[in-house]
Amino acid sequence: MPGRFAAFSFLDRITSLEPGVRARGQYTVPPGVGRFPPCLVAESVGQLAAWAAMSTVDCRRRPLAGLVGETRFLGEVAPGQTVDLAVELESCREDAIAYGGWAHVERTPILELTRCVGPMLPAAEFDAPESLRADLELLQDGGAPAGRFHPVPEPDIAVVDGASGEWIRAELRVPTAAPFFADHFPRRPVLPGALLLHGQLRLALRLAGETLGAKPAATLVPARVTDVKLRAFIPPAAVVEIRVDTLARAAGAATVGLAARVGGRSVATGRAEIVARSAR
Amino acid sequence: MTRQPVTPEDIERVYPRVAEIVSDALGVSLDRIRPDVPLIEELDAESIDFLDLVFRLERAFDVKIPRGKIVEDARGDLPEAEFEQKGVLTEAGLRRLQEFLTEVQPDRFRSPMRSADIPRLFTPETFCKVVVRAQRAARVAA
Repeated sequence: MPGRFAAFSFLDRITSLEPGVRARGQYTVPPGVGRFPPCLVAESVGQLAAWAAMSTVDCRRRPLAGLVGETRFLGEVAPGQTVDLAVELESCREDAIAYGGWAHVERTPILELTRCVGPMLPAAEFDAPESLRADLELLQDGGAPAGRFHPVPEPDIAVVDGASGEWIRAELRVPTAAPFFADHFPRRPVLPGALLLHGQLRLALRLAGETLGAKPAATLVPARVTDVKLRAFIPPAAVVEIRVDTLARAAGAATVGLAARVGGRSVATGRAEIVARSAR
Repeated sequence: MTRQPVTPEDIERVYPRVAEIVSDALGVSLDRIRPDVPLIEELDAESIDFLDLVFRLERAFDVKIPRGKIVEDARGDLPEAEFEQKGVLTEAGLRRLQEFLTEVQPDRFRSPMRSADIPRLFTPETFCKVVVRAQRAARVAA
């Protein structure tokens, strides 16, 4: 299947694994790609946690992204660099996993995830369990082929309306076809939560720019995202209404509420802390 | 099986913290939380919210809450086949559920009731009782 294990798989090898307890892994961002968004680093950590959980049940069940208590964005990975990934599972049951994890580049932390919970569902609804078992074996043995990653296209987002510095409403149009569908959940194409969050953060940065005022010497970056909850699958061709609201502002920082709805139904919620960092 | 009842005092002891956790998990203001408010029908809770709620309660009260614990406790010593058949509660099963979920208004137990619809009955008080029982179980285990 074109794209499978290439278009949305951000783990090259699992370097150590205690099933259901902890795992370590690595991912090298191919040199040829442009920026590798921090939300995809979070996805890398989540994928490592998923393998650590699936390894306990012979890939018969798989966890999905459900809740992320806190994500701290501490830095970025450049193309060509290797990210060292780690996860610790707080609990791993047939119905759900709870875990935390982190990512380092050259021993410097670039991301931390805490209080994550993922419901465990029958894997066959999302992918062929035998393919998952083969991928797990490959990741633990020689590792996946280097440089297989295809860059993920930026979400198609159009601003609809808003009030400067207060809120923005926009539409994200999920493509009808994209390589990442065949890799994320081959049997159930949906917009990955990490891509939704990436799109929401783009809007949150824009809103924070209005809220905090543009300062040429400073760059706005997401510092923290909290209480992310993914409530429903978003299918291909869906139109997602994204709304970001300024909840609080302080010197050089803004807290932004993140909401996403499809057909009037809430599909995702969370909040982001955007801060101004001095340009070097 | 003898089950020590959960008293109003037990519920009162944990309710303030449970209410805060329900408010946080569902993203609704604390003033909308009442002990008897149906979480699905009035506060739009979904299955992911219940998962969130259970993990938050486990962390806040330092207890373990096994999945399906509410239904398992409601069923008690009634054999599974006498509690539900083909995903629908038997009359005996419905009576057991009603005896167990005393916080739920009687007119909300409608026959026939699908097992999958049991969470529609849950209220914050239901989770107070879950916490109290989990605390007792933890004390016994210790």
